[in-house]
Amino acid sequence: MISSDVIRGHIDTIILKLLMEKDMYGYELANEISLRTKNKFDIKEATLYAVVQRLEMKNLIQSYMGEKSHGGKRRYYKVTPFGRAYYSETISEWKLLKEIMMAILGSDIS
Amino acid sequence: MNKIKRFVASLLKDFFNEADKKELIEILSTSLQEKIDDLVESGTPLEDAVKISMQEFGSTKDVLDAFQDESSKLKADLRIRRRSQLIFSIFGYFIIVGLCVFLNLTLLPIFNDFLWFVVVAIGLLFWPVVMGYRYYLAVK
Repeated sequence: MISSDVIRGHIDTIILKLLMEKDMYGYELANEISLRTKNKFDIKEATLYAVVQRLEMKNLIQSYMGEKSHGGKRRYYKVTPFGRAYYSETISEWKLLKEIMMAILGSDIS
Repeated sequence: MNKIKRFVASLLKDFFNEADKKELIEILSTSLQEKIDDLVESGTPLEDAVKISMQEFGSTKDVLDAFQDESSKLKADLRIRRRSQLIFSIFGYFIIVGLCVFLNLTLLPIFNDFLWFVVVAIGLLFWPVVMGYRYYLAVK
Protein backbone atom coordinates (compact mmCIF):
# COMPACT_ATOMS: atom_id res chain seq x y z
CA MET A 1 0.00 0.00 0.00
CA ILE A 2 1.36 3.42 -0.96
CA SER A 3 -0.02 6.56 0.65
CA SER A 4 -0.95 9.74 -1.18
CA ASP A 5 2.03 11.52 0.46
CA VAL A 6 4.49 9.61 -1.72
CA ILE A 7 2.63 9.98 -4.99
CA ARG A 8 1.11 13.39 -4.25
CA GLY A 9 2.84 15.23 -7.09
CA HIS A 10 1.41 12.87 -9.66
CA ILE A 11 -2.27 12.80 -8.70
CA ASP A 12 -3.09 15.49 -11.27
CA THR A 13 -1.48 13.41 -14.02
CA ILE A 14 -3.29 10.24 -12.92
CA ILE A 15 -6.68 11.98 -12.98
CA LEU A 16 -6.02 13.59 -16.34
CA LYS A 17 -4.97 10.24 -17.82
CA LEU A 18 -8.12 8.50 -16.59
CA LEU A 19 -10.36 11.30 -17.84
CA MET A 20 -8.65 11.28 -21.24
CA GLU A 21 -9.72 7.68 -21.62
CA LYS A 22 -13.32 8.28 -20.59
CA ASP A 23 -15.46 10.96 -18.91
CA MET A 24 -16.10 9.96 -15.30
CA TYR A 25 -17.77 11.25 -12.16
CA GLY A 26 -15.95 11.63 -8.83
CA TYR A 27 -16.69 8.32 -7.19
CA GLU A 28 -16.16 6.49 -10.48
CA LEU A 29 -12.65 7.98 -10.59
CA ALA A 30 -11.95 6.80 -7.03
CA ASN A 31 -13.16 3.30 -7.92
CA GLU A 32 -11.13 3.21 -11.13
CA ILE A 33 -7.92 4.13 -9.26
CA SER A 34 -8.53 1.43 -6.64
CA LEU A 35 -9.31 -1.10 -9.35
CA ARG A 36 -6.27 -0.38 -11.53
CA THR A 37 -3.83 -0.24 -8.65
CA LYS A 38 -5.42 -3.27 -6.97
CA ASN A 39 -5.92 -1.13 -3.84
CA LYS A 40 -2.17 -0.48 -3.56
CA PHE A 41 -2.64 3.28 -3.84
CA ASP A 42 -4.64 4.62 -0.93
CA ILE A 43 -5.99 8.01 -1.99
CA LYS A 44 -8.66 9.47 0.25
CA GLU A 45 -11.79 10.59 -1.53
CA ALA A 46 -11.51 13.98 0.20
CA THR A 47 -8.15 14.48 -1.52
CA LEU A 48 -9.32 13.15 -4.87
CA TYR A 49 -12.46 15.31 -5.08
CA ALA A 50 -10.53 18.37 -3.92
CA VAL A 51 -7.89 17.76 -6.60
CA VAL A 52 -10.68 17.44 -9.17
CA GLN A 53 -12.06 20.79 -8.02
CA ARG A 54 -8.59 22.34 -8.25
CA LEU A 55 -8.10 20.98 -11.78
CA GLU A 56 -11.45 22.42 -12.79
CA MET A 57 -10.49 25.79 -11.35
CA LYS A 58 -7.30 25.67 -13.44
CA ASN A 59 -9.41 24.88 -16.50
CA LEU A 60 -7.60 21.56 -17.04
CA ILE A 61 -10.91 19.70 -16.82
CA GLN A 62 -14.53 20.75 -17.02
CA SER A 63 -17.69 19.29 -15.59
CA TYR A 64 -21.17 18.69 -16.94
CA MET A 65 -24.26 17.02 -15.57
CA GLY A 66 -24.87 13.67 -17.18
CA GLU A 67 -27.18 10.73 -16.71
CA LYS A 68 -25.97 7.54 -15.09
CA SER A 69 -27.15 4.42 -16.90
CA HIS A 70 -29.14 3.33 -13.83
CA GLY A 71 -30.06 5.91 -11.24
CA GLY A 72 -29.69 9.64 -10.69
CA LYS A 73 -27.67 12.33 -12.38
CA ARG A 74 -23.92 12.56 -11.96
CA ARG A 75 -21.43 15.40 -12.39
CA TYR A 76 -19.06 14.09 -15.04
CA TYR A 77 -15.63 15.49 -15.79
CA LYS A 78 -13.80 15.69 -19.10
CA VAL A 79 -10.35 16.94 -20.06
CA THR A 80 -10.04 20.29 -21.82
CA PRO A 81 -7.53 20.90 -24.66
CA PHE A 82 -5.46 22.82 -22.11
CA GLY A 83 -5.58 19.76 -19.84
CA ARG A 84 -4.33 17.53 -22.67
CA ALA A 85 -1.41 19.87 -23.31
CA TYR A 86 -0.60 19.92 -19.60
CA TYR A 87 -0.75 16.13 -19.52
CA SER A 88 1.73 15.83 -22.43
CA GLU A 89 4.07 18.18 -20.64
CA THR A 90 3.96 16.20 -17.37
CA ILE A 91 4.50 12.95 -19.26
CA SER A 92 7.68 14.41 -20.79
CA GLU A 93 8.84 15.39 -17.29
CA TRP A 94 7.96 11.92 -16.03
CA LYS A 95 10.02 10.27 -18.81
CA LEU A 96 12.99 12.46 -17.96
CA LEU A 97 12.64 11.65 -14.26
CA LYS A 98 12.42 7.94 -15.10
CA GLU A 99 15.61 8.16 -17.19
CA ILE A 100 17.43 9.91 -14.36
CA MET A 101 16.28 7.41 -11.75
CA MET A 102 17.09 4.47 -14.02
CA ALA A 103 20.57 5.89 -14.67
CA ILE A 104 21.23 6.02 -10.95
CA LEU A 105 19.19 3.18 -9.47
CA GLY A 106 18.90 1.00 -12.57
CA SER A 107 20.54 -2.16 -11.33
CA ASP A 108 18.69 -2.04 -8.01
CA ILE A 109 15.20 -1.54 -9.40
CA SER A 110 15.24 -3.66 -12.55
CA MET B 1 -27.94 16.32 1.15
CA ASN B 2 -28.03 18.87 3.97
CA LYS B 3 -26.40 16.36 6.31
CA ILE B 4 -23.67 15.77 3.74
CA LYS B 5 -23.11 19.49 3.24
CA ARG B 6 -22.93 20.07 6.99
CA PHE B 7 -20.38 17.28 7.29
CA VAL B 8 -18.20 18.69 4.50
CA ALA B 9 -18.59 22.25 5.80
CA SER B 10 -17.43 21.12 9.23
CA LEU B 11 -14.20 19.79 7.65
CA LEU B 12 -13.49 23.11 5.94
CA LYS B 13 -14.78 25.55 8.54
CA ASP B 14 -11.39 27.08 9.39
CA PHE B 15 -9.91 27.14 5.89
CA PHE B 16 -10.33 28.92 2.56
CA ASN B 17 -12.11 32.18 1.81
CA GLU B 18 -15.91 32.14 1.63
CA ALA B 19 -16.17 31.93 -2.18
CA ASP B 20 -13.66 29.07 -2.53
CA LYS B 21 -15.16 27.29 0.47
CA LYS B 22 -18.66 27.46 -0.99
CA GLU B 23 -17.51 25.99 -4.30
CA LEU B 24 -15.44 23.29 -2.63
CA ILE B 25 -18.31 22.29 -0.34
CA GLU B 26 -20.58 22.02 -3.39
CA ILE B 27 -18.15 19.79 -5.33
CA LEU B 28 -17.24 17.57 -2.38
CA SER B 29 -20.88 17.20 -1.30
CA THR B 30 -21.97 16.30 -4.83
CA SER B 31 -19.26 13.64 -5.14
CA LEU B 32 -20.08 12.25 -1.71
CA GLN B 33 -23.78 12.16 -2.58
CA GLU B 34 -22.96 10.31 -5.81
CA LYS B 35 -21.10 7.67 -3.83
CA ILE B 36 -24.10 7.29 -1.51
CA ASP B 37 -26.39 6.95 -4.54
CA ASP B 38 -24.09 4.30 -6.06
CA LEU B 39 -24.01 2.34 -2.80
CA VAL B 40 -27.81 2.55 -2.43
CA GLU B 41 -28.26 1.42 -6.04
CA SER B 42 -25.99 -1.55 -5.36
CA GLY B 43 -28.23 -2.61 -2.46
CA THR B 44 -26.75 -0.90 0.60
CA PRO B 45 -29.40 0.59 2.93
CA LEU B 46 -29.39 4.40 2.84
CA GLU B 47 -28.37 4.84 6.48
CA ASP B 48 -25.42 2.48 6.04
CA ALA B 49 -24.45 4.12 2.75
CA VAL B 50 -24.31 7.55 4.40
CA LYS B 51 -22.32 6.19 7.34
CA ILE B 52 -19.82 4.30 5.15
CA SER B 53 -19.36 7.25 2.80
CA MET B 54 -18.64 9.66 5.64
CA GLN B 55 -16.24 7.24 7.35
CA GLU B 56 -14.28 6.60 4.17
CA PHE B 57 -14.31 10.19 2.99
CA GLY B 58 -11.23 11.45 4.83
CA SER B 59 -10.31 14.37 7.04
CA THR B 60 -9.50 18.07 6.78
CA LYS B 61 -5.85 17.11 6.24
CA ASP B 62 -6.84 15.00 3.25
CA VAL B 63 -8.64 17.95 1.67
CA LEU B 64 -5.64 20.21 2.31
CA ASP B 65 -3.35 17.59 0.73
CA ALA B 66 -4.94 18.50 -2.58
CA PHE B 67 -3.74 22.07 -2.16
CA GLN B 68 -0.16 21.29 -1.19
CA ASP B 69 1.15 24.64 -2.42
CA GLU B 70 -1.42 26.54 -0.42
CA SER B 71 -1.91 24.28 2.58
CA SER B 72 1.04 25.65 4.58
CA LYS B 73 -0.23 29.17 3.94
CA LEU B 74 -3.74 28.17 5.01
CA LYS B 75 -2.38 26.59 8.19
CA ALA B 76 -0.24 29.64 8.92
CA ASP B 77 -3.29 31.90 8.42
CA LEU B 78 -5.26 29.76 10.84
CA ARG B 79 -2.51 29.93 13.47
CA ILE B 80 -2.34 33.72 13.17
CA ARG B 81 -6.13 34.01 13.41
CA ARG B 82 -6.29 31.72 16.45
CA ARG B 83 -3.44 33.60 18.15
CA SER B 84 -5.23 36.91 17.62
CA GLN B 85 -8.40 35.41 19.09
CA LEU B 86 -6.42 34.18 22.12
CA ILE B 87 -4.80 37.57 22.70
CA PHE B 88 -8.16 39.30 22.31
CA SER B 89 -9.78 36.90 24.80
CA ILE B 90 -7.01 37.47 27.38
CA PHE B 91 -7.30 41.26 27.09
CA GLY B 92 -11.09 41.04 27.12
CA TYR B 93 -10.99 38.83 30.19
CA PHE B 94 -8.79 41.21 32.18
CA ILE B 95 -10.76 44.28 31.12
CA ILE B 96 -14.11 42.74 32.13
CA VAL B 97 -12.76 41.30 35.39
CA GLY B 98 -11.01 44.61 36.17
CA LEU B 99 -14.26 46.45 35.62
CA CYS B 100 -16.06 44.05 37.91
CA VAL B 101 -13.42 44.49 40.64
CA PHE B 102 -13.77 48.25 40.34
CA LEU B 103 -17.57 48.08 40.53
CA ASN B 104 -17.47 45.60 43.36
CA LEU B 105 -15.02 47.49 45.56
CA THR B 106 -15.75 51.13 44.83
CA LEU B 107 -18.98 52.05 43.10
CA LEU B 108 -21.30 49.63 44.78
CA PRO B 109 -20.24 49.61 48.45
CA ILE B 110 -23.48 47.95 49.39
CA PHE B 111 -22.03 44.71 48.00
CA ASN B 112 -18.63 45.15 49.63
CA ASP B 113 -19.23 42.25 51.94
CA PHE B 114 -19.65 39.90 49.02
CA LEU B 115 -16.79 39.67 46.52
CA TRP B 116 -19.01 38.78 43.58
CA PHE B 117 -16.30 39.69 41.05
CA VAL B 118 -14.62 36.37 41.92
CA VAL B 119 -17.63 34.51 40.51
CA VAL B 120 -17.44 36.55 37.30
CA ALA B 121 -13.66 36.02 37.08
CA ILE B 122 -13.99 32.25 37.40
CA GLY B 123 -17.02 32.01 35.13
CA LEU B 124 -15.40 34.07 32.40
CA LEU B 125 -12.22 31.98 32.47
CA PHE B 126 -13.78 29.62 29.92
CA TRP B 127 -13.22 32.27 27.23
CA PRO B 128 -9.38 32.47 27.21
CA VAL B 129 -9.15 28.77 28.07
CA VAL B 130 -11.23 27.78 25.03
CA MET B 131 -9.29 30.18 22.80
CA GLY B 132 -6.03 28.81 24.19
CA TYR B 133 -7.13 25.28 23.40
CA ARG B 134 -8.15 26.24 19.86
CA TYR B 135 -4.74 27.90 19.36
CA TYR B 136 -3.04 24.77 20.70
CA LEU B 137 -4.96 22.64 18.17
CA ALA B 138 -3.96 24.95 15.31
CA VAL B 139 -0.29 24.85 16.32
CA LYS B 140 -0.39 21.09 16.81
